[in-house]
Amino acid sequence: TSPRLRLPLRLIIPVPPPLKMRIGAKSAILTLGVCAALVALNSYASSSRIGAGLAATGGRTRPARLSRQNSPRNQVLSRRGEALQTSSRRAPQLSVGAACDDGAYLSKDQKAELKRIADLIATPGKGITAVDEGPGTIGDRFENVGVINTEENRRKYRQMLFETPGAPDHLSAAILDPETLYQKSDTSGKLFPESLKDMGILPGVKPHLKVYTLPGTNGETVMQGLDSLAMRLREYKEAGAVFAKWRSPMTIGEGQPSDLAIQANMNDLARYALICQDEGLVPIVEPDVSLKGDHDLETAIVANVKIQSALYKAMLDHGVYMEGTILKVNMVNPGKSCKTPYSVEEIAEANVHVLRQCMPVAIPGVNYLSGGQSLEDAAARLSTINKLRKNCPWNLSFSWSAALQMPLFELCRGKDELPLAEMSDLYAKELKVASDAANGLHNPNGSDGAHIPPNAKQMEAVAA
Amino acid sequence: CGRSQSRMGDHTTAEKRLRAICSHVFTKEYKHAEELIATAQTIASPGKGILAADESIGTIGKRFKGIGVENSRENRRAYRHLLASTEGLGKHISGVILFEESLFEKMDDGSLLVDGFKKEGIVLGIKVDKGTRYLPSTDGELYTQGLTDLDKRAKKYYDFGARFAKWRAVVKILPGKGPSNNAIQETAHSLARYAAICQNNGLVPIVEPEILMDGDHDLATAQKWTEIVVSACYSALRLQGVLLEGTLLKPNMVLPGASCKKRYTPADNAAATVTALQRSVPVAVPGITFLSGGQGEEDATIMLNALNQPGLGYRPWSLTFSYGRALQKSVLAAWKGKKENVPAAQKMLLLRARANGDANLGKYTGYAANSGEASKSLYVKNYAY
Repeated sequence: TSPRLRLPLRLIIPVPPPLKMRIGAKSAILTLGVCAALVALNSYASSSRIGAGLAATGGRTRPARLSRQNSPRNQVLSRRGEALQTSSRRAPQLSVGAACDDGAYLSKDQKAELKRIADLIATPGKGITAVDEGPGTIGDRFENVGVINTEENRRKYRQMLFETPGAPDHLSAAILDPETLYQKSDTSGKLFPESLKDMGILPGVKPHLKVYTLPGTNGETVMQGLDSLAMRLREYKEAGAVFAKWRSPMTIGEGQPSDLAIQANMNDLARYALICQDEGLVPIVEPDVSLKGDHDLETAIVANVKIQSALYKAMLDHGVYMEGTILKVNMVNPGKSCKTPYSVEEIAEANVHVLRQCMPVAIPGVNYLSGGQSLEDAAARLSTINKLRKNCPWNLSFSWSAALQMPLFELCRGKDELPLAEMSDLYAKELKVASDAANGLHNPNGSDGAHIPPNAKQMEAVAA
Repeated sequence: CGRSQSRMGDHTTAEKRLRAICSHVFTKEYKHAEELIATAQTIASPGKGILAADESIGTIGKRFKGIGVENSRENRRAYRHLLASTEGLGKHISGVILFEESLFEKMDDGSLLVDGFKKEGIVLGIKVDKGTRYLPSTDGELYTQGLTDLDKRAKKYYDFGARFAKWRAVVKILPGKGPSNNAIQETAHSLARYAAICQNNGLVPIVEPEILMDGDHDLATAQKWTEIVVSACYSALRLQGVLLEGTLLKPNMVLPGASCKKRYTPADNAAATVTALQRSVPVAVPGITFLSGGQGEEDATIMLNALNQPGLGYRPWSLTFSYGRALQKSVLAAWKGKKENVPAAQKMLLLRARANGDANLGKYTGYAANSGEASKSLYVKNYAY
């Protein structure tokens, strides 16, 4: 067990710490200028010919430039997504607010469907497998272990993940890259979205996003992707996706995350969520604060409360239907190179604390990302969060990519082909760990989940 | 991980957990944190609520006028003493809000008026705002004043024995428009400032953003504005460093406008209210003590009972009452200023307190429906007190 907490603490309450925020007239003008530029950019984009062309037809037709004769994608796009067969395994709740929903912009039926999907994603004891790496990103992972990055390898690999025996017992949903939406399983012959639905796993998609650095902010970013988002979501919905995901990364550092970066990113997340719901997809909103840095746990708490608080306010102000959304978020952790040790209980307490400060009861679930944590650490922390959750009403679960998949890639080293059976076995074991953690039943080994300062780690390694 | 319907965690465990993360908070910079959390949880105890007896001199005068009693200091003392000396009141009343005059009031034998409340284990609270004024350049919207020297006053009240405070902000839904952004920001910001100052001086702030019933807006409109206003309040509270675990929220129930043509059932109103709260109130807040806002005594009890029925989804905060008019109308009518009527009046108070305490538990069966003034509406247009 790590040493008892010895914190040179300031307040746990979300008073912004004395970060060196840029102040003064020059920065204020710059801030306004950037805001104005962003607003102008977005309004230009939404009035562009793409949006206008679609709007004119009034229906859900594709613009001509996207058609390709006889491609699987083309065939799918002419079909409607099928209704999900499985019913909610969650305890039934009264459909609240029937009388008071009159006049709201989403119809009662639209809301009911969004809520149904969100509640399914938030099934207790189940989580999300995030397999939404683009061909480039997964290509890096493949090449790192000597696997050639071909479309077929990507397809085979994802199929192995989806069809691992027992996976549906631990997974409520899978986030796909758009490419995967149009690939088929060679066991069922069906496209992956349909194949997943047959197994009781909801398919979702990460639409393409491009990072953009905010000028004058020392590297802070927003994600570009709102332009033509509605149109792309329509395509993905027709391909069978029932939810989408948007990730807005931020970092903690000197003067970061700045109010500007928070506002810009949270507004974008809220607008993305609004557009998703209008297109009939449940939005997973993902504010992701990086592990990078040497900040302590308390600093992380303050930053996370600030960010999440801004997110829910933006969502409410935009008119997002809260009951039909899911939060995907980083765990609150000290920075990777923080010099103070923390126990897994302290980290779990910090996470429960942050949720209780700002998360609306109305959102059914939280799926924590791994963000560089090992599976052992992530599972230890998630399980402890669930053990210490007291009256937290949300489903507290996982949406893991690297934590589940990096060990699988390691199995590929020195092999000629993808060792699919071996990978599948390991993946099945990992999924059990993950869902145990989501149920608060996973018991950490040793110092799993604790934060051990970098020097101490080195000394441990030397001693070992 | 049982997702039971329990509304509050055990507070010693919560304390320990918070302490584990930041022991520093309890010793140096936030010396009242433990007490604030404990007080808030005590007030939000199951089966109990708040008696709001903090009518200003002018307002209690209106009440007295209605029962033919002169608005003298003696009568005001006699009436509040009636409340304070009600035996058994502490069974269903966890806190009482008083006006400054009553807080410090002495009886003829030198004892304090509030001694009776203390004996019943009822936490003393104090109204600290100084009334509403018109917000310039708006269409009759209001702001609440009272921040000047609030730190000094709060300390004075704390030293005397008060442990919580109340500040009433008033928001209007202008026909076809709703509250202006100006009014929302002003409400949220001053409530947060009041709350921070109170906590620094040991008082649990009850945060009261009352959205008036005035108007013909429907239930959905009332719900939307409640969500936006309450969520703006919590943004401001977090920004100003308020310890949410040491606060209470006193919102309006979500109800249609007083002159709305459409009819809704208590269940409709309850669903709208709970949904609005689920979207805007953090789990860290231990209790929500509703204002009655012009509803008659029985209506207010029935609504509270409806809010505590199963099937409305997760409610991690206690949903209870902080009633003024809706606890006292029958009491005043029974008292009529006469000493010989005091026992009967106290019986009425106990009856309504018990009814609302049962409503907090979702167990009210309507047994108090025909007593006293239970069924009379108490709605007054453009209410200010």
